[in-house]
Order: sequence, then C-alpha cells, then structure tokens
Amino acid sequence: MKQTPHESAWLHVTGEAVYVDDMPAIERLLVGRVVYSPEAHARIQSVDLAAARAVPGVHAVLSAADIPGANQMGPVVHDEPCLADGEVMFVGQAVFLIAAETEQQCREAERLIQISYDPLEAILSIEAAMAKNSMLGAQRTMSRGSVDEALKTAPHRLSGELRTGAQEHWYLESQVSLCVPGECREMHVYSSTQNPSETQSLVAGVLGMPKNEVIVEVRRIGGGFGGKETQANHVACWTALLCRATGRPVKIRLFRDDDMIMTGKRHRFLSRYEVGFDGDGRLLAAKFELNSDAGAATDLSHAVMERAMLHSDSAYYVPNMTVMSRVWRTNLPSNTACRGFGGPQGMALMETVIDRIARTLKKDAADVRMLNFYGTEDRNVTHYGQTVENNRLHMIHDKVITSADYRKRRREIDVYNAMHEFQKKGLALTPVKFGISFTTTFLNQAGALVVVYDDGTVLLNHGGTEMGQGLHTKIRQIAAAEFGVSVDMVKLTPTNTSKVPNSPPTAASTGTDLNGAAVKNAIEKLKRRIADGVSAVFNEKDSSVQTDTNDIVFCDNWILDSRHPDRRMDFREAVRLMRLRQVSLSATGFYRTPGIGWDKMKGVGRPFHYYAFGMAVSEVLVDILTGSVDLLRTDILHDVGDSVNPGIDVGQTCGAFVQGLGWVTTEDIKWDVRGNLLTHSPDTYKIPTANDIPKDFRVSLLKDVPNPTVVGRSKAVGEPPLMLALSVWLAIKDAISSVDNHEAEPEYSLPATNEVILLSVDRLRKKRQTTATGSKVT
Amino acid sequence: MKTSIEFLLDNSLVTVDCHPRSGLSPTTTVLNYLRSLPQHKGVKEGCAEGDCGACTIVLGELVGGRLRYRAVDSCLVFLPMLHGKQLITIENLKSSDGTLHPVQQAMIDTYGSQCGFCTPGIVMSMFALYENDVTPTESGIRMALAGNLCRCTGYKPIIEATMVACGRERVHRSLEETERTIKLLESISSDSIVLSTERQTYVRPATILEALEFRRDHPDALVMNGATDVALRITKKHELLPLILDLSGVGGLRGWSEAEDGVNVAAGTTMEEFLGLCHGRYPALAKMLGVFGSPQIRNLATVGGNLATASPVGDLMPVLIAHRALILLRSTRGERRVSATDFVAGYRRTAASHDELITRVTLPRVPADTLVRSYKISKRRDLDIATVSSGFRIELENGNRVREVILAYGGMADRVKRAADAEAFLRGKPWNRPTVEKAMEVVGTDFSPISDVRGSAAMRTIAAKNLLLKFWAETAGNGGGE
Repeated sequence: MKQTPHESAWLHVTGEAVYVDDMPAIERLLVGRVVYSPEAHARIQSVDLAAARAVPGVHAVLSAADIPGANQMGPVVHDEPCLADGEVMFVGQAVFLIAAETEQQCREAERLIQISYDPLEAILSIEAAMAKNSMLGAQRTMSRGSVDEALKTAPHRLSGELRTGAQEHWYLESQVSLCVPGECREMHVYSSTQNPSETQSLVAGVLGMPKNEVIVEVRRIGGGFGGKETQANHVACWTALLCRATGRPVKIRLFRDDDMIMTGKRHRFLSRYEVGFDGDGRLLAAKFELNSDAGAATDLSHAVMERAMLHSDSAYYVPNMTVMSRVWRTNLPSNTACRGFGGPQGMALMETVIDRIARTLKKDAADVRMLNFYGTEDRNVTHYGQTVENNRLHMIHDKVITSADYRKRRREIDVYNAMHEFQKKGLALTPVKFGISFTTTFLNQAGALVVVYDDGTVLLNHGGTEMGQGLHTKIRQIAAAEFGVSVDMVKLTPTNTSKVPNSPPTAASTGTDLNGAAVKNAIEKLKRRIADGVSAVFNEKDSSVQTDTNDIVFCDNWILDSRHPDRRMDFREAVRLMRLRQVSLSATGFYRTPGIGWDKMKGVGRPFHYYAFGMAVSEVLVDILTGSVDLLRTDILHDVGDSVNPGIDVGQTCGAFVQGLGWVTTEDIKWDVRGNLLTHSPDTYKIPTANDIPKDFRVSLLKDVPNPTVVGRSKAVGEPPLMLALSVWLAIKDAISSVDNHEAEPEYSLPATNEVILLSVDRLRKKRQTTATGSKVT
Repeated sequence: MKTSIEFLLDNSLVTVDCHPRSGLSPTTTVLNYLRSLPQHKGVKEGCAEGDCGACTIVLGELVGGRLRYRAVDSCLVFLPMLHGKQLITIENLKSSDGTLHPVQQAMIDTYGSQCGFCTPGIVMSMFALYENDVTPTESGIRMALAGNLCRCTGYKPIIEATMVACGRERVHRSLEETERTIKLLESISSDSIVLSTERQTYVRPATILEALEFRRDHPDALVMNGATDVALRITKKHELLPLILDLSGVGGLRGWSEAEDGVNVAAGTTMEEFLGLCHGRYPALAKMLGVFGSPQIRNLATVGGNLATASPVGDLMPVLIAHRALILLRSTRGERRVSATDFVAGYRRTAASHDELITRVTLPRVPADTLVRSYKISKRRDLDIATVSSGFRIELENGNRVREVILAYGGMADRVKRAADAEAFLRGKPWNRPTVEKAMEVVGTDFSPISDVRGSAAMRTIAAKNLLLKFWAETAGNGGGE
C-alpha cells in the first residue's frame, strides 16, 4: 500500500503524460511571444508598433497601454508592472506581447518593433544597492539576549563575510500557459503554475474582470522548485492579454534562454557575522547581518529573507543572538521562491561559523556541531522564541556518525592528505532543522472537494498542484486509506480553481500536510453520511440488532459494523444505495494549521507547526591542481515521520540533495556589467548530471518516529533535504583547508566552483611557500 | 538524384520532400517534426541545444547487416539526416498489447520519474543501452545518462532502474519484426539527395567525388555532418541556412583502418566510434573523448566536424597536436596532409581552402619513450565546454632528459595554441620538479587569456600552470622521475 508508484509513472515512461504544451491541437490557436528589455535600466523614449502590427499573420502587438485592467502582477507588493510602462527596470522585463499564426511571424514582428531607450544608471550588485541605499521595505531584526555584551566577554571571537550565489530553478519544462476564451468574457487558463489561485487573481486583475470569469487549471507541472510559485503568473497574464485582444486561443511557451533571462532565481546573499564562543566551541553570541539581492521588484523577497533569518540558527542554540536583515533592490529580474526559500542561505552562514570555530580551536567540526545542537530539555528555544519540540538531532547524529563510520574515515582522510600533495580529501557532517509552515500564517489553509460516484469510484479535487513531488500519489493513498478502498478506486482531477477556490501556493513543503488534511476532512463528512445511511439499511433489514453509526468502519472495500462484522456491505453497493436514498455523495473539506502564529514585527512566536530534521555526511576528493571534485560518498539520514510513501520520500530526499549539490558546486550565475545574464542556457549553466551525484550514495529515512501533529503522521520533505548538500560544500572546504594543514581559514564562497577552489588553493599554497621561505631566513 | 528522403517511423516507411505544403524544411529539426505530429508529443524540448536530453530519440541503423541503435538529441538532428534510418520514439517502446518495455517498467518500479518531463528522453537513453546489449557497470550507466538532465530525482533511482533492466535477461523484439525492419531499411536507396525549397537547398551526396565537386562549385555552402554545432544556428540563432552540403551520406567517410605508421580515421567517424577506437590504444584521446559532450552528442558529432569548427577550446585539437596527428585535406585538385599544429590557422580558422574537405586523420603510433596525456578543466565533468584543456607530449632520453615536448593548450588564446616558450625552455632539461616549476612560470607568460563566463584570466593562468605540474607528477614515475 505504502509502496504505490507515482500516480503518473505509467504516463511518464510512455510519453503519454500531457503537459500544457502537449495538449491536443486547439482550433485557431495563436503563438504568443514576449518581447523584453535589452536594457537593465532605461527610460523608454519612443515606440512605434505600426510595422510590427502590419506583418501578415500577426494578430496583436500589445504594450502597457493595451492592458484593459491593472498593469500589475506583483503577488504581495504591487510594484511589478505586467508590461513596462515608460521605464524598464531589468534586462528581460516584458515590454511588448505579440500573437501571430506562427513563431516565425512573431519573430518577424519583433524585428520590426521600433523602440528607443534612454539608458539610466543600473544597480547590479548588493554593494551597489547599498551605496545607493536602494532598499526594499525596512530593515528587520530578530533578537534574543544581549549580544554585544556577550560578544565582549566571550573568550573567542570571529568575524567575517560570506557570499552565497543565486540559483536558477531549471525546471525541465519551461514556463508555459495556454488561454482559451470562453463565452462572453470567460477565460480558461491552462498554466504550469504552483499557485493557481494567485494566477487566477492576477489574470483577472490585468483583464479587469471578476475572478468568477477566470478558471485556472493545472494537470501537472514539469518541475517547479519555487520558480512557478509567483512567476508562472506572469506568463499566464501575458497569454491572457493576447487571448483577450485577439479573441482566439493563445499559447506562450518560453524558450529556455528567454526563461532563464526573464525569470528570477534564488536570492544571492551577502552575509556578515560576528560570533563569540568558549574554548570548547560552544556558541555564546552571534550577530548576523543578512543582505539579499531582491532584483527589481519585491515578489516574495521579504518572506524569503524572513525564512533566512529564522534559519540562521541552523540547528544550534545560541543564547545571545541578533539577526538583522535588509533586502536590496537591483536592476535584475525579481528573485523569487526557490526550494528552501531563504533557509539555505541562512543555514550556510551558521554552518560557516561552526566550521570556522572548529578550525580555530583545532577541533572536529562534527563535535562542535553536536555541542551546539538544540537540547531536548533545556537550550531548546530558538532565537525567535519557538521551542524545538520532538528534537531528533541527537538521535540522528548518533545514528549517522556510526552508520557513516565518521571517526574512522576522519582519521583515514588525515593520513591520506598527509601522503598526497595534489589530491586532498575532505569530510563534513551537516544537520538540517527546517521549520514547516508558511511563515505568512494565513496561507496555512487548504480546501478539497471529494466526490463519490454511484459506481463506487472516488474523484478528488484539492488546491495543491502536482509538480513531480508525488502530492497526488500521497493524497490518493490517504484518501484510499480513509475510505478503506484500494487506490485504483481513487482518482485525482487536475487542480482547478472552479472546484477548490482560494488555495495557497503548493510551496513551503506543505502540500501533503495541508491538502491531505483537507481531503481527510471532506472524507470524514462523507463517511459520516454513508455510515448513517448504511447503519439504517442494516437496522431496517434486521431490527433485532441495532447498528450504531459510530461502529461503522470502512476497510478492504467493505463497510461494516465493527461489533457485528457479519453486517457488511460492499463499498460500491453501499454508495449505489446511498444515491437511491438521496444521500449527498460529495463534500468539501477544509483545514487550517492549528496552534501557529507569530508576531512578524517583533520577530517572536511560533511560526512553524513542527520541524523536519536530517543529517548528511559527505566525503570528497579534490584535485587541487584542477579544482575538480569527486563526490566519493554521502550518507543521509532524514526524518519524514511515518512516511506515507517511502519510495516518494526517498526520491524527494535524493532529488533535493542533488539540487542543493548543484547550488553549492557548479551552478554559477553570472551577469555582465550591463546586467545581461551570461549563463542563460545549459551550455554555460551547469546543473548536476548523473555523473555528479555521490559515487556511493546512501539514503535512509529515520524509522519509528511518527509525527504526531500531521495527517498520516508524516512530515514534509520537499525542501529540507536540499540543505543537506551543505555537507558537500564544507567537505570541499575541509579538503582545501588541508593544503595548509588546517592552519589558515581558506577564502571560500558558495558555490565552490573549480575557479573558487583553484584560487583558494593557490592562495594557501603561496602562503605556505612564503612561510617556508620565511622560516628558512630566520 | 533523389528529391525526397525516406525513413522508418512507427514501423512504416515515411517519405518527406519538404514541399511548401508540408511546412517542413531541410533544417526542420526532428524534435520539431515529431512534435508537429499528433501522436508524437512524448518527445520534449528542454533546451533546444543538446544540453538536456529531454528530446532524446533513438536511431536504428544497419551496420554490417545488423540493427544498431544510438541515442541522439532530436533537437540537433535535421530531418534529412534521418534518411535510411529507423526513427524510434518513446511511443514505440511498449508492445502492441500494452506491455511496457523492461526499461519503462523498471523506471516505474524504482520511482524513477517525478515530474516526468525528462523521463521520455531518459527512457530512450536506457532503451539504446538495453537494445545494444550493453551490460553496463554502474559507472558506465552514469556516463550513458550524462546527457540527460533530471532536476527532480537526483538520478539515483534512474541509475537503479537501468541496472535492474539491463541486469536481467534481455527480451528483444521478435525476430520477425527485426527482419521486417531490416528489409524496409534495405529498400531505401542510398543515392544522392537534393532537397530544395524556395529559400534553401540541401545536398547530401553519396560519393566523395560528388561532394568535392559540389564543394568546388559552391564554396559558400555550409558543410556539415553530425550537425551538433550547425543545428544551434537554427535552434538558437534562428538563421536561415540557404545552402547546405551534408557529408553524412558520403560512402567511405566513416570508420578507420590500420596504416603502416598508425591508424587512419575517416573524418565522418562519430566521436562515439572514435572513442571506441581510442580505448586502450590512445588513452589520452579516449580520456578527452570520454568527457566530450554526452553520448547523444558523441553519437552525432564527427571527428572532421570537430576539427573544422576550429574552436579555441578545441576538444580534440590539443590532443591531436600532442599526438602529431596529420589531417588529410582533399579537393578535386588532389589531396595534402597537414600537421595538426599547422591546421589551426586562427580564431575559428583552419588551413583548409574553400574547395577542400577534411577526409581523414592519421594518428601515428606513440613510441615507447614518449608519453602523451590530456587534461580538461571544466565547471562540470560531463557535457561541458572546457575552460582550459591541454594535450601534452614528452619524449625523454636517458630516462629523464627532455628531448622533445609539446604543450598544446585550449582555452588560453583565440585558438588552440602551444606554449612555445615553455616548450623551448624544457627542451634538453631534466624532467624534474624544479625545472617544471620554472617552466610553469614560462607557461604563465606564454599566454594572455581572457576572462569569460567559463573562468577568469587568473584562474586560466593558474590552471594552465598547474596542468604542467600535474603532467609531471603523473609521468615522473613513468621513466621520468626526479
């Protein structure tokens, strides 16, 4: 039962799974194209669209002036025009839309658009934004204890700076949307969006229509990773505008390069730290400053920064801690949600601190980590005041240190490094403690619509979207278990805003927790009705025994009286009868996460329903002459509570880890001095291949630790394992550090590309040579 | 002269003539062709440049009377290149009764798909491995899948699925079906083909003489074979290529033969075939080829094509220089042999004239006192263009004195270039660390590399120097030594 394959697996492997671009030909379909700014910051001086509009086959060329509704698609703050109006703020910003019979006609029209720009000064880095005080929103602070005092009295202090890079989502299916006009003003939007309700809202907004005229439907998404949480809205809005203007169905599918140029990425961070600790390596005080590059608009930048602040403790208790943050506005595409949502950036900072403390005190970093883990009885309250309940850190640490044979390998690596001048090994263990819930509390809600047909089959609708994470598979399993029927009786519809309204995005790893609970809620209502009806049937047939509704159970495709198991009815037969008896066989369900809430202004409270834990040990071999890295082995032990589907959860764990691996190693985003993205295709932007994953890759789920607070007693798994990849990043640093026998702190940043490694090693080798020469003189 | 092409799709012969009504041109990619058909939407576009493998399809070909299969990126294949071949798509894998192919079933059983968008391409790569009866090791599977990006699974279950499917006893298509396929393929004429549309002419000669005559008469014609480079001008730059000379149908331009002084490799040999040849015999080349593109690209790209593009990074070129390879250029006037060093004429320029075609590369045998090594530094190991690459050769006398040395670098100048001063410095000197460390400094002054997206000038200089040290460290024990 638990080992149910992905509900679409058969369709995936046969090529029959339908994505938006694969939908059967629609009559009179037009191709849509987005024309974007080549300037990072400029005033639009003049525009002439006449020639473009005259191209045969071209049905519409639209600019901001042609938007019937609001020229706005910012999801939270309304600072994001749908089409540039008077000024462009980044290379890749949409300026015009074209609809034509063919792709070629679109390109021809694009060529004939006359536009002149008056370039303005562009801000292209966090430092430049700081210099211009180009801040979005206000500075925020979370604080506990008296940091300055504790820093002053701490026996040891360290300070420094860390840069973490952006990351392109690289969903395999680029952004796509298909709009089909309905009767009168109706609009049916097929979109690859993680956020159908918001897509609906923004499409209605740009069209100037009420939401009840817009339906958004999502069958499946070819990968999202946060990149389609807000920015799929854009493509849907553009498509809808062309559809409205032409009265014909329109599809826009972004070419890979355009997608990479136009859409936002994981926020790059520039972080600074000052920490105090004792001689054992125990953290006494931490003062962090987090700066993120938001790009040209707000998007979700504040929420991302908030999560970074909430995760800058990583898994460690810091008695005195202040985290200050600022979100900077630059002339780059607006950065957005990306698996981990600020968590990775916050945790990379704290893990760097721990790594440095260990190097400074000449201790094993794994020991320093263990020393600082949140306690179970005391030292268990975070810097924002939430108690770390059901703490699994110590349990996981003990298990993984043993299963990964950490101590022995540490010694072997030291020996290896002493014997090899040009090949160095490194080892690191890093933990994950990831808070589950949207920190924007109201989003922690979900709806469902469950339908039972009189042939006994069940159709589920819920607000979550299937993007590969196996949400529909898990929900199907949960529903089948609740109804006591086999999974093949249960089917899911595409996510559709006309079935389940006002849903949150499928994000923050909450998909199964929220939607599963909403589905369960609906099924409970249906079971109650059916139980009432069935017990009535039993009692009518034989009144000598009375069946109590409360004794009715649903299992193995039967509905039966648990006190009188011979009183039973086949599920199919029961629902057929219920229809005849005029019992409603459809119900809505709803769920909101209980017991959470927090004061954003004060930065105190309980933002998370629970924490997901995990740990990884990674070993690398670094060729210090070429900067190439062999990832020799990774051991992961991850906590998903009682897994609903271990196959899917292991898959999520591996996948998230490898996406994190890309972020910390080869995924290097570069812009030129004019704000053009240089790494705009997989030719230059390198995500991991099958040959980059650990040679020896051992992934286990923590057993026998149910999560008491969640449907199915499971835990969210989408994001947390991504941060396990920090073990690889720090293992590489460990290898580099061995070049100088761990004497000096290597220069280091994230990602650790071969260039970062070569330059860092070069400095250490030069330092050693200088020291060696120097010692000869004296 | 034929004016249409023929290939096998869904077990039937398909004829395409690029008539205006067809909406097809000689540079329509197989990816776009398939996606224009109602029943072939399984193939996906992920990047349209051969870097993701979502569009992987399998080409069946008759080689020595047997059907051989190769996975290729359909975004890099022009429609006419299908001529005489069997085009196998994801829709063709399950049998008529609905039973899945073993690789498909294994992918389901191991949770090998998540979002599913890369899955058809991955399944096709697995299918090619399976059908070619390869029994791969785990590392062989990783290499075979290196051309298929997946962002969801972390690859682990896909590798497991491949191990499972290829580890079991193979169940192949019925003999009858195979024989029918072979018969149909044999029925396709191998005559020269000309496809003309209003704006394009595509010529695919059957013999080298026809090709040379066409080259002479049309020096402006774009010459292609595997199209892995040329296709990007269509898919990424949206150029119109008015006149194309495709050498992929020329008889005798593929394969290799033993010669007195080494091996002659025909210019149309694919990189994958060349890799097979180099295994064991030319390890430095095999090493470089092993990280050249991906299997899907190596299955298309040819030796001659790689040399003709004259990339500043070079791939093969630094290693061919180190091997003192000779390149045979042929025209209707005759033929001449040019050394690999002299073949490189400038930024993306070669020594070939406008009427010449590269027809052969001669690889001399490596004498016993000579060591040849290759190195490639790239951000990612597979399917990445080098930041710095090198082909090194050293001939030692009396065990450790440098008689002759070649230090050929890619990525350090506007062309593949030898570190001339460092070579001169090393000649006659002992092959030991102090000399090498001094030579490293000379390498630093031999080049003035640029900073670009693949690496900074500072990194390139450090890397170029380090590679010499690495070469020494690897060869010092091999008759060199301190």
